[in-house]
Amino acid sequence: MMDMLIPLMVIIPIICALMVNILHGKDKLMRWVSLIVAIIFPIIAIIASLGTQYFGGHNSSLISSALPATLASVSSLSPGIVYVFANINRIFIFLVGIVVFLSLFTYFSERKKLSGPYLFLIFMGVASVTALLLSNDIFNMYVFFEIVALTQVGIIIASSSEYKYETAFKYLILGSIGGPMLLLGIGFILAVVGSVNIADIVAVISTNVVNPLATPLIFAFALMFFGWLYVSGLPPFHTIKSELYSRARPNGAAILQAFSVICMIAFGIAIYRIFVYVPFFKPAIIIFSLLAMVLGVSMALMQNDFRRMIAFLAVGELGFIGLGFGIGTQLSITAALFQAANELIITALLFIGFGTVYYLTKTSDTKKLGGLITVSPKMAIMVLLGGFAMAGVPPFNGFQSKIMLVQSALNAGLPELAIVAVIVSIVTFFTFVKAFHTVYLQPKPANLKFAHKKIPAIATFSVAVLLIICLILGILPDLVTKIFIPFAGGLI
Amino acid sequence: MIMSTQLVCLFAAGAFIVIGLFAAIFIDNIIKKIIGIAFIEEGVNLFIVTLGYKAGGVVPIFLENMSPDWFVANSAYPLPQALVLTSIVIGASTLAVMLALAMVLYKKHGSLSTKVILGDKND
Repeated sequence: MMDMLIPLMVIIPIICALMVNILHGKDKLMRWVSLIVAIIFPIIAIIASLGTQYFGGHNSSLISSALPATLASVSSLSPGIVYVFANINRIFIFLVGIVVFLSLFTYFSERKKLSGPYLFLIFMGVASVTALLLSNDIFNMYVFFEIVALTQVGIIIASSSEYKYETAFKYLILGSIGGPMLLLGIGFILAVVGSVNIADIVAVISTNVVNPLATPLIFAFALMFFGWLYVSGLPPFHTIKSELYSRARPNGAAILQAFSVICMIAFGIAIYRIFVYVPFFKPAIIIFSLLAMVLGVSMALMQNDFRRMIAFLAVGELGFIGLGFGIGTQLSITAALFQAANELIITALLFIGFGTVYYLTKTSDTKKLGGLITVSPKMAIMVLLGGFAMAGVPPFNGFQSKIMLVQSALNAGLPELAIVAVIVSIVTFFTFVKAFHTVYLQPKPANLKFAHKKIPAIATFSVAVLLIICLILGILPDLVTKIFIPFAGGLI
Repeated sequence: MIMSTQLVCLFAAGAFIVIGLFAAIFIDNIIKKIIGIAFIEEGVNLFIVTLGYKAGGVVPIFLENMSPDWFVANSAYPLPQALVLTSIVIGASTLAVMLALAMVLYKKHGSLSTKVILGDKND
């Protein structure tokens, strides 16, 4: 009975998306429907029992004679679409649910007139990232990612940014190259293995039914790795990803980055499971992760627009996640997953928190800002603490995941990676404090105009909730690491 | 002869992808870029659907007058076809959004040149 909740985690946001689109114009009703679903969604993730949900398909013994020879030896063959709901999915779906709820709550408080299509896009995105996390099938993951990408484009178009169409178009063009490359990689795996189910692919490759180093599989790795870089926003896609975040409404950017982190984790785990045996797999991940970290913070340092600064810092933080996968030990993968959970929360906090500055002044140019601590002192302090969490200052969650990552690099005999991670964290801290000083502490410019006199109480509430989660995960990291550790052990 | 049919399809798929990549990366006109992207998508679809090709096979639809053994021996592998069907839908959706954006961008900038459209963006 409880297992029915697994598909409901995808179905409910889809139904909600359709409803809010139909209800466009009836603001009160849209608000209630969205909030109820946004509250129900993380609750379902908590109460659903772990398990597997099969959609259609046939008994594999009945169709075994019709299957390619490669699959005949797979005893646990899954011929239909399969959703697997494990504890790790529970954590990430819950966190996405919290971010979406708080972002929507903030959006409702900032706008009297709501947009049905905008809410439709958000809920379709939520349904897609949930399905992406649950799916045990690389083709379905590709399909859901494409839907996420389209919803991301839609969220940008729905913003009021002047160059939203240009950014959306550029993202679509790059996506239309990265997406098909991912699909082509899946095609190569299909050609060799005969299945797109991840468990079946791993079973076939690990038992040497096919040559693990066969040229098509290496091609598949290269193409899927390229696709993963696009999905995650790692270099060379870091610029467009950060541009995407900075063009969205701040509460929309919080949701967009959450989607990106989930896509990165879901595809990262899938690629890790399938290709971990490839000799240059881990070095490739480490190189691109280091590039993301270095380029992310150095470009953040140069920004005068605080939305872009957070966007680049978010890309830099993605590098930490990749680094954990690249080191490839149980501790490092645990650190990577923990870092992903932390980034989801911290970046959302910063986007919503700094977003209140944009709400007040309608500008995100730090040269035009100053003295805002007198307008919103509570928010200023919470944003500062959020920045500390991102930079890895104790006692926040960012500190726990980063120290775990540094420790894992040292344990793996890679002290140079630990040094880079520490330096990048210090630069992140410096970048953030500089922006904070400019926006909140330096004298208020005489020509600074305010669109609103004070920030909505709900925005303060949302940021406070996210900060409390950061603090709880920082003080009690075992809450999540006890789930990540066995998962990481199984992965390696 | 039949084997060469599959090979021809694979070469055609490769050609589609390479031509599409060239157009998407190097051609300035956004409509031609979009056409290039359509080439890439169709090339990938052709590649995948070719994987399910079976020499002298039949479509994988089981009819009443077929014996199960004959069907298993002669039908093409249906999984690639199912995947491509979904992929076509996704490609069409992406293409529609891109064309809509191209129209908006043309109205805004009065040009279809990428240099003009993205060059104007200076904030």
